[in-house]
Amino acid sequence: MDWEKYESTALDSFADAGTREELTTAHTAALGRKSELKTALREVRDRRTGMTLNAIRVRLEEAFTAREGELERADLDERLSDDAFDVTVPGDEIPVGQLHPTTQVRRLIEDTFLGLGYEIRYDREVETVEYNFDKLAFEPTHPSRSPRATFFLDDDTVLRTETSPSQIHSMEGKPPPIYMVSIGRCYRRDAIDATHYPIFHQFEGLAVDRGLTLADLKGTLLHVMRALFGEDRRVRFRTHFFPFTEPSMEPDVSCGVCGGEGCRTCRYSGWLEMGGSGMVDSRVFQNVGLDPEQWSGFAFGVGIERVTQLRHGMAEIRPLWSPDLRALRQF
Amino acid sequence: MRVPVSWLRDYVAVDMPLPELADRLSISVAEVEGVLHRGVPNEDGNLGLFRVGRVVEAGKHPSADRLQLCQVDVGEGDVRQIVCGAWNFGAGAAVAVALPGAVLPDGRKLESTKLRGELSNGMILAEDEIELGVDHAGIMLLPDEWEPGTPLADKLALTEDILLVESTGNRPDLLSVYGIAREVAALYGLELAPPPGNDPTRSGGDKSLDLRVDDFDGCPRYVGRLFCDVAIGPSPAWLRTRLSDAGMRPITNVVDVTNYVMLALGNPLHAFDYATLAESRIVVRRAKKGEELRTLDGELRKLDPDDLLIADAKRSIALAGIMGGEETEITEATTDVLLEAANFDAYTIFRTSERLRLRTEGSNRWEKGVDPYLAPVAATMATELIVELAGARWVGHGDVQEQLPERTAIRYRPERADELIGIETSSEEQHALLRRLEFDVKDAEVIAPTWRARDVTREVDVVEEIARFRMDQVPFTYPLRREMFGRLTRNQRFQRRVEEFLSGVGFSEVYTASLVERDFDREALRLLEPISGELAVLRTTLLPSLVEAARRNAELGNERIDLFEIARVYLPSGGPLPTERIHVAGIAQGGFSRAKGVVEALAEALEFEAPFRAEPHALFHPSRSAATTGGAVGELHPSLLEGEWCGFELFVDELAAAAHEPVQFREIGAYPAVHQDIAVVVDAGVRAAELLAAARKAAGPDLREARFLSDYRDPPIPAGKKSIAFSLTFQSAERTLTDEDAAELRNRIVSALEQAFEARLRT
Repeated sequence: MDWEKYESTALDSFADAGTREELTTAHTAALGRKSELKTALREVRDRRTGMTLNAIRVRLEEAFTAREGELERADLDERLSDDAFDVTVPGDEIPVGQLHPTTQVRRLIEDTFLGLGYEIRYDREVETVEYNFDKLAFEPTHPSRSPRATFFLDDDTVLRTETSPSQIHSMEGKPPPIYMVSIGRCYRRDAIDATHYPIFHQFEGLAVDRGLTLADLKGTLLHVMRALFGEDRRVRFRTHFFPFTEPSMEPDVSCGVCGGEGCRTCRYSGWLEMGGSGMVDSRVFQNVGLDPEQWSGFAFGVGIERVTQLRHGMAEIRPLWSPDLRALRQF
Repeated sequence: MRVPVSWLRDYVAVDMPLPELADRLSISVAEVEGVLHRGVPNEDGNLGLFRVGRVVEAGKHPSADRLQLCQVDVGEGDVRQIVCGAWNFGAGAAVAVALPGAVLPDGRKLESTKLRGELSNGMILAEDEIELGVDHAGIMLLPDEWEPGTPLADKLALTEDILLVESTGNRPDLLSVYGIAREVAALYGLELAPPPGNDPTRSGGDKSLDLRVDDFDGCPRYVGRLFCDVAIGPSPAWLRTRLSDAGMRPITNVVDVTNYVMLALGNPLHAFDYATLAESRIVVRRAKKGEELRTLDGELRKLDPDDLLIADAKRSIALAGIMGGEETEITEATTDVLLEAANFDAYTIFRTSERLRLRTEGSNRWEKGVDPYLAPVAATMATELIVELAGARWVGHGDVQEQLPERTAIRYRPERADELIGIETSSEEQHALLRRLEFDVKDAEVIAPTWRARDVTREVDVVEEIARFRMDQVPFTYPLRREMFGRLTRNQRFQRRVEEFLSGVGFSEVYTASLVERDFDREALRLLEPISGELAVLRTTLLPSLVEAARRNAELGNERIDLFEIARVYLPSGGPLPTERIHVAGIAQGGFSRAKGVVEALAEALEFEAPFRAEPHALFHPSRSAATTGGAVGELHPSLLEGEWCGFELFVDELAAAAHEPVQFREIGAYPAVHQDIAVVVDAGVRAAELLAAARKAAGPDLREARFLSDYRDPPIPAGKKSIAFSLTFQSAERTLTDEDAAELRNRIVSALEQAFEARLRT
C-alpha cells in the first residue's frame, strides 16, 4: 500500500468537498471504521509502521477539522450576507470639537521653539508705560505712544502694544543666557476692517548670550518660518527701524501662493512681510543692567493671526474672531 | 512718500531696471511698496502720437449743438479735422492732440471716427484724459509759443513711474527726493548732484527783516526771505504735475514752491502775506494762556502754553511747523511774500500735533527731527523758484539762530561690525561705504552727516549702516548654545491638557474679545478712549462673552453649540495693574448636570476630585449653580438664552495646582469584587454627596467604590422626600469577601445613614 498516495488523495478529497455532506463522505472514505487506514491500523503489528500510520491519521484528522471550520464559516457568511446593506450611509455622529486655528498655530510655534531650546512665556497684557515703551527705548515722540495708536487705562498704564515688554521681564528675571518666546494678546487702536482687529496675538522671541550675531537671527528665523510655512520657503531681511533693536530688520518669507513670482496675496512682490526683528539695542541692555560689550542678543516679533491667515488661505482676519461654528468646525 | 522717478533723475543717474532698484532700496534703505505708472503708456512709440496742435479754425458742428468742429495744425503741413466737446478755446489756441493709434492711460486706443457725420481725425485732450491732472472742465490750453507738431512728451511729463517709498521714523532725510537720491547714489556707487537751487541776485535793495526768536529750544533757527512784486497765479504744468505725482494738490505758484522744496529736500517751508503782518515783524514764541488761532483749514484752535507759535507784533499767525493761519495766508491779492525756512524742535511739534490731533506733511517731518543745517539750503532753492515762477524780486534776508549742535565724533571699531553682523567686512570697505553716505571717517572715529545726527549717535548705529548694505550677504547660522532649558511650565502643560480634553469631548474653541461693553464687576478697568462702546472694559469673566457667542450661533441656526475659551481675565487689584489670570470657560446645550459632568470628567482627567457646593452666580439659575475647584459651574439663568444651557468658568492655574501628576498606580486587587445596589428614602434637602461620604466612612476601606445612581421623587415617594440609589462595590485587598461579609458592610452603611439622615432603606 502506498500510504503517501493514500494521504494525498484523502487531503485532496477534503479540499474538494464543497459541502458538509461531501466532507462527511470523504471523511468516511479516508478515516471511517471500514477505511483502509483504520483497517490497517487495527491489523498492524510492527511499531514503526504503526507510528507512521498513526501520524497520517492525525494529520488527516487535523486537515478534516480545518476544512470543516472553513465550510462552517462559509455557511455562516452565506446566511449573514445581505446585498441590500448600504455601506455608504454615514456612521454614528460622534461629537468632535476642535482647537481654534490660533491655538493650533500657537502650539506649532511653541513646539518649534521648544525644539530650539527656548522657554515659553505668557506675560501680562496690561502693562506700565515704563515696560511697554520706556525700558524698550521708545523715543518720547514715537507715534505708538499716542493715545491714537495705543489704548491707555491712565497716563502710566496701557494695553501692551506688542509682546516686547516680555523682553524686559525675562532679562530682569534671570541672568543670561536667555532664549525665550512670549506669546499672547496685544492691542492697538486699529479700526475694525477685513484685515484689522484691535486685539491680536504675537509671538516675541529673545535670545541673549555671548557672541550672538545678526547671522544667528537670520538662521533662527529661517528655521521658524520653514516650520510654519514649509521647507521650500525662502526668507529675506529688509532694513527697518525699531526703538529696541539696532540694527533692525523686517523678515519677509517667500510667497507660498505664487512661489515668489508675484500675485495678489503678496501684492506682486513675491514676498510676505512677517513682522519685526533685530539685534537687541544697547540702550535696552543698559535699561536692564546688562553690559552690551559682554552680551549680545536678537529679538523678533510676528503676528500670529497673519501666520494663521497665510497658512490657511484666509483673506480676512474676521473669521478668527467670529464664534460661528461653520468657520470653526473647518479646523 | 511718492517719488517720481524723473524727479529722482534730476539728482542721480537712475538707469537700472526699476524693479531691481525697488528691491535694493527695500532691503537696504526703506521699503518700496510698489512702483506705479502714471500717464500714457510709454511703449511702441506711443509717446510720439501726442503732439502740440494749433487750432486754425473752430466752429459749431453742423449737426450737433454741443460739439465744435476744429481744423488743427499738428505740424504735418495739412490740417486735421477734429470734433471736440469743449468750448473753452477758439481759433489760435495751442492744444494737446492725440493722433489716431495713440493709446490713452485707460488703455483705450484712439481711432478716426465719424461723429454725427463729421470725420474726427484725432482728439483734443483734457488734463485728466492723460492723467496730467484731474481737471475735466475743458481741454488743456498750452502756452501759445509752443510750436505745432512738437512732441508733447518734450514739454510735459506725459508718463511717469512713481516709487512708493515707506521710510521709517528714524529717517526724516528719506522724506525727500534728494534724500532718496543720496541713498541710490551710495547703493550703486553713482555720483550725486549737488543740492538743487542757487541764490539769484537780490534786486531792489536789501531790506532788513524784523525776525525775533524768543524760544530757541523750540526753534533753533529761523531763515526769512522777503519778496516783492510777486505775481500769484497757477504754477506751470511741470510743477503741478510733479506735485500731483508726489501726492500733493497744486494751489498757487508760491504755495506750490514751498511744497515742492519740502518734497525735494525735506525741509517744510511756509509763506506769509507780508502785508498782513503787524509791524512787519515775526516773533517765534510759545502760546499765551487762552490764546487762539484760526488755522488755514478754518478751525479755531485753542492753544496751550507748550505750543510754539509764529506771531507778528500783535497776534499769533501760524502754528509753527504744523499749519499756517488764515489771516496771513497767501491770496491772489498778495504782492509781498515772507518766506519762512526754519528749523523746529521735534518734540515741541510732536506734542502740539498730538494734542490737536492735527497731522500735516510739515508736522510729519518736524516730529522726526529735521536737519537744522538744511533751512538755508531750502531757502535758496525756494528763492530761485519764486523769482523765476512768480516774477518776484528778492529783496530781503534774515537768519536768526543760536549755537547749532556740534557734530559729535563716534568711536568706531570696524571689528565690532563683524562681531555683531556675523560676516567679515574689511575696514577699508566699511570706511568707503560710510564715506559714500557722507560720513566723515578718520582713524578710529566717524562723524555722521548733519541729516543723520539724531539717528546715528553710537557705535552700534554705525554698525547698522554696514549691516543694511550687506544684508543680503549675511549667512544663515545658529547660536552656539552652552545651556539648554526649553520646556513647558506645569501650568502651560495643564493648559494644553484642558484644551485637549474639552476639544476631545466635543467642544469647539472660540476666541472672543477681552474688551467688553460692561462687566459685572463695577471696578473693572475701563479704557480712557475706547474705539467703540462694545470694546471699552477689560472683562473679569469669560462667560458673558460665551453667552453672546452661543446666542450668535443659535441665531445662525448652527447645531450642537458647545463652546469653550481659554483667555485672560483682568481682576481689579486696588493697585495700578490688575491681577491677570488665565481662565477656561465653557457653554453647552443642556442642564446643570451636563456642565457638571464635563467638569467632573475634566477633574478626573487631571486626577483630582472636585468638590461641589451650592453657590449662587450672576449668570446661573438661582439654585442650579455650584462652586467647585477653581471656579463655578451651573445651569444658565433662563432669562439669558432661549432653551436649556449650562456653563462653567475655572481658573487654569488652580486646576493645575489640584491636578496630580504623575498618576500613582493603584493595584487592581486579586480578590473578586461584590456589587450591590441600595436605595434609601431621605428628606429632599439631604445632599447626595453627604450620603455618599457617610457611606464611605461607615464601610471603611473594603468599600472600593460608591457611585450615585439616581434621585427619584415621584410617587410612591411621599412629598418632601426623595429616593437616592447608589451602586456599591465591595472588595478587600486581603481576602475573598463572602456574602456574609458583604451583608455586614451593607448593614453598617444602612444603619449609619439611618442615624445621620433618618434614612429608610427602600425595598
